[in-house]
Amino acid sequence: MNQSEELINKLKQGDQAGFTAFMDLYQDMVYNTAISMVQNADDADDITQEVFVQVFLSIHAFKGESKLSTWLYRITISKALDHEKKKNRKKRFGFVQSLFGGPDNEHLHPVDFNHPGVQLENKERAGELFKALKQLPEKQRIAFTLHKLEGQSHQEIAEIMKTSLYAIESLMGRAKANLKKVLYNYYHGRFSDQKKTHYE
Amino acid sequence: MNKIEQINKLIDEAIDSVDNIKRASPMPFLLTRINARLNKTNENVWEKMLLFIGRPAISIPALAMLIIINVLVIVFKGSDQFTTTTEQSAQADEFSYTVSTIYDIENTEP
Repeated sequence: MNQSEELINKLKQGDQAGFTAFMDLYQDMVYNTAISMVQNADDADDITQEVFVQVFLSIHAFKGESKLSTWLYRITISKALDHEKKKNRKKRFGFVQSLFGGPDNEHLHPVDFNHPGVQLENKERAGELFKALKQLPEKQRIAFTLHKLEGQSHQEIAEIMKTSLYAIESLMGRAKANLKKVLYNYYHGRFSDQKKTHYE
Repeated sequence: MNKIEQINKLIDEAIDSVDNIKRASPMPFLLTRINARLNKTNENVWEKMLLFIGRPAISIPALAMLIIINVLVIVFKGSDQFTTTTEQSAQADEFSYTVSTIYDIENTEP
């Protein structure tokens, strides 16, 4: 019996020590996926908690057809997307409220995201990349995040997203092309602004 | 280096900026917070059920149904009352339903 099978059995028995060991093993993976998806540390922490609660409650539904990490990635991504949708709904509601003179919702318009794991000299560029990532379609964003930030292979991403290897390669290609397009427009705009300031 | 080359260089730098990214860690006491959340989930089962029952979409039709059933029972029972009573007394006469007590049996002689 390998380590993850042993962990699953312990979790199914409701063993607290098993749950602690499981968390120690996977908390960084879940948190990093969540933070890359939602680009907010507090939200990522919230999602991490939700993921582990769901794992604890639904471990009996895990049949072992896929790897435990694959299952965890799926839960994390689904929770992150739900979280984003909920936040967007709140944003829209906040906008309508503000039209009628309601309370300010500044927390719904966060400042630029800085990933805590990015090296200091890359902070600025990484911030621009994360901003551009937000503009990608959902599937492209998931594939790019899992590959580039989580270091998953195309085959593993295909298993997580329940699709073919060919589809993932195509998604990755489109994600990179779209990112380049978004970044090009951003830098082009910045250059033009600099020029204008220079002539003024 | 012309402008386009400069922009392409920046794009490559941006895309490569997350290479060798370090793992971020969640806030401390994650396990404690998860355990608290799990306890809350267990406590909330009854609350959730009450909230479900209390939802207008559930409670109003349920109340309406209860009122309709009560009205129907009253209306139909009211109309059948006479027939039922007469039928019952006729049956009692025919089959001698009247219960004889121990005094009736013992005091056979006048």
